[in-house]
Amino acid sequence: MSELLGTLKRRVSGFISLFKRSLALRVGVALLLLLIFLAIFQPIIDQYRLEGHEATDLGYFEKFLPPSLKHPLGTDQFGRDVLGLHLTGLKFSLIVGALAGSVATLISVCTAIIAGYRGGKIDSILNGVTNSILVIPSLPILMVVAFYTRLDLVSMCLTLAAFSWPWSTRVIRAQVLSLKERTYVDLAKVSGENHFEIMFAEILPNLIPYIIVGLGFSVIGAIFAETGLRIIGLGPTTVVSLGLLIQQALQYGLLTQKRYAEIMSLVLLLMSIFISINLINKGMDEAFNPRLKKVTGE
Amino acid sequence: MPSPHEEEIKSNLVYQNLTVSVIITLISSFITKSKHMVRIPGFAGYILKKVLIYIVTFFLAFTVMFWALRLIPGDPWSRFVDNLRVLQVDPRISREFIEEYKRKFGLDKDVYTQFALYISNVFLRFDLGLSIASYPTPAQVVIMRYLPWSIGLLGICALISWSIGIVLGAFIGWKHHKKLSSAIFTIALGMSQIPYFIMAILLIMILAYGLGLFPGRWAFAPGTTPGLSLDFILSVIRHGFLPALSIMITSFLSWLVSTRALTMTILGEDYLLFAEAKGLKKIRMLNRYVLRNMILPQATGLAISLGFMVNGAYVVEWIFQYPGVGTLLVHSFLWLDYNLAQGIILMTMFSVLTANLIMDFFYPLIDPRVRTEGK
Repeated sequence: MSELLGTLKRRVSGFISLFKRSLALRVGVALLLLLIFLAIFQPIIDQYRLEGHEATDLGYFEKFLPPSLKHPLGTDQFGRDVLGLHLTGLKFSLIVGALAGSVATLISVCTAIIAGYRGGKIDSILNGVTNSILVIPSLPILMVVAFYTRLDLVSMCLTLAAFSWPWSTRVIRAQVLSLKERTYVDLAKVSGENHFEIMFAEILPNLIPYIIVGLGFSVIGAIFAETGLRIIGLGPTTVVSLGLLIQQALQYGLLTQKRYAEIMSLVLLLMSIFISINLINKGMDEAFNPRLKKVTGE
Repeated sequence: MPSPHEEEIKSNLVYQNLTVSVIITLISSFITKSKHMVRIPGFAGYILKKVLIYIVTFFLAFTVMFWALRLIPGDPWSRFVDNLRVLQVDPRISREFIEEYKRKFGLDKDVYTQFALYISNVFLRFDLGLSIASYPTPAQVVIMRYLPWSIGLLGICALISWSIGIVLGAFIGWKHHKKLSSAIFTIALGMSQIPYFIMAILLIMILAYGLGLFPGRWAFAPGTTPGLSLDFILSVIRHGFLPALSIMITSFLSWLVSTRALTMTILGEDYLLFAEAKGLKKIRMLNRYVLRNMILPQATGLAISLGFMVNGAYVVEWIFQYPGVGTLLVHSFLWLDYNLAQGIILMTMFSVLTANLIMDFFYPLIDPRVRTEGK
């Protein structure tokens, strides 16, 4: 157990030094923290700005108010404050990403460790399944599911997770394959640790950076799929995500009315989610890929 | 609307079917992996394995689709009549009439029979069945009207972004210590995962509505008649520009990023050090060693990412109301046109999986290491 703590401690200090080295990582983390901050404090911001109303409540304000100090982005066709609405959308999009992403990562960590470590038949079956799900276009399947069920937040996240885990499985499995050949795994085998202990006490702590990369992939995949579905016009109306807001904006013809600020704010919020997570992912990848280090000489 | 009881039966059927499918997968993977089975060595064994995986994946994906589609509440004909009413067309359809059509489409039989019938129709007679929404046109005819648009858009975009991305990525990786290339790389890094459809909305806003340079909707101008006239072709190019650009920007950047990483991995290899020591010219090294070693993983990458690209491209088509398969798919769901939706999904899966299979076939031809695997 103390060894485990030691590994974790080393990892944390490793992260800090990594953080100092990589600009991409710094920018990504700062951007993501800002977005998460906005999402967490959205209810409080709304309380303060909207005199206690929910941002999604209809008809509290005049329709189509131009941007002002009170409503920086104006109000929409239902009299909702647009800024508050967009922050709510950000919150829901991040929740969907976090929920679906973590479920997917959980699946992928388990499958990747078992497949990579045990090898043989289990590996080839799991690998086959991963590659198959990876290769088939999942959007049509998601569309059918979204058409059929009256999805709520949780069931939608589970459905999204079912299709976004293979990407991170690939990342993590490749790492397990290389880790299990290391000497400390042999040492653990000799000293009589069982497979379970080796998998989760020896290999898992060393996988943390790759699990974070995998989590990033899954979160991006989930938000991608969710937004795509919502733009087509599917999914639960109770989950007011950025995708749904985009769909409503397009449906209502905000482009033809030249209300670009609203669309721009939606697009920028979504883009910054993708950019921040991707910067974190790639920053970690750069830093942890030993083959790249050889060239950059860090 | 089916009763709750009916839905329960439906979902039970789905679970049974999923179990059957899982068992089939396990058995088939057991056959390919089993030690008791006569191992076919070398190339033939490799091909056989790939084909088997192809068939199983295809079958499984399609089966899941078929059953999921049957789970959508309601049936096509009542949806059809409802949609007509919304459009204020008086359908004047009697119940007997609907029953007659249900019989005609085989929708009165139970789901298993429907599945068996459909499979046999598709694979033995290459018949996707009649489209329900655009009766009496067969589904394959409807799909064929839309398919060229999709293939043209996605195919051209994929190839252009792939080739430019690789060449530029290799170059940036080669010059990775220069200020400019690291600046380009950082921008590409951030932008490389932005979905096509978000890019599409941004581009529509700026280039179509803001500046009015390109049309933001449809595939050709309403006045032009399709044909081999200069007018029509120019109109198609002008209308296709924005959808194509929104797909190309991000996919180009993601190829650039992955190629750069690959290049730098290759730069670390010993044989490159040796080539440098031999005094080989830089451009020759880039050509012979770096690009040659990169084409292989990136070609596989292209095949694998095709499914992902299709996902994004379908939403882009919907945003632009482009007459491609993606738009058709959404419409076929809205009309609950089973045959059409199944046909589209079947075609999509088929083309993506076949592209992967072909890539798998070419793999040993390009890479001698795979050919000797298992010997």
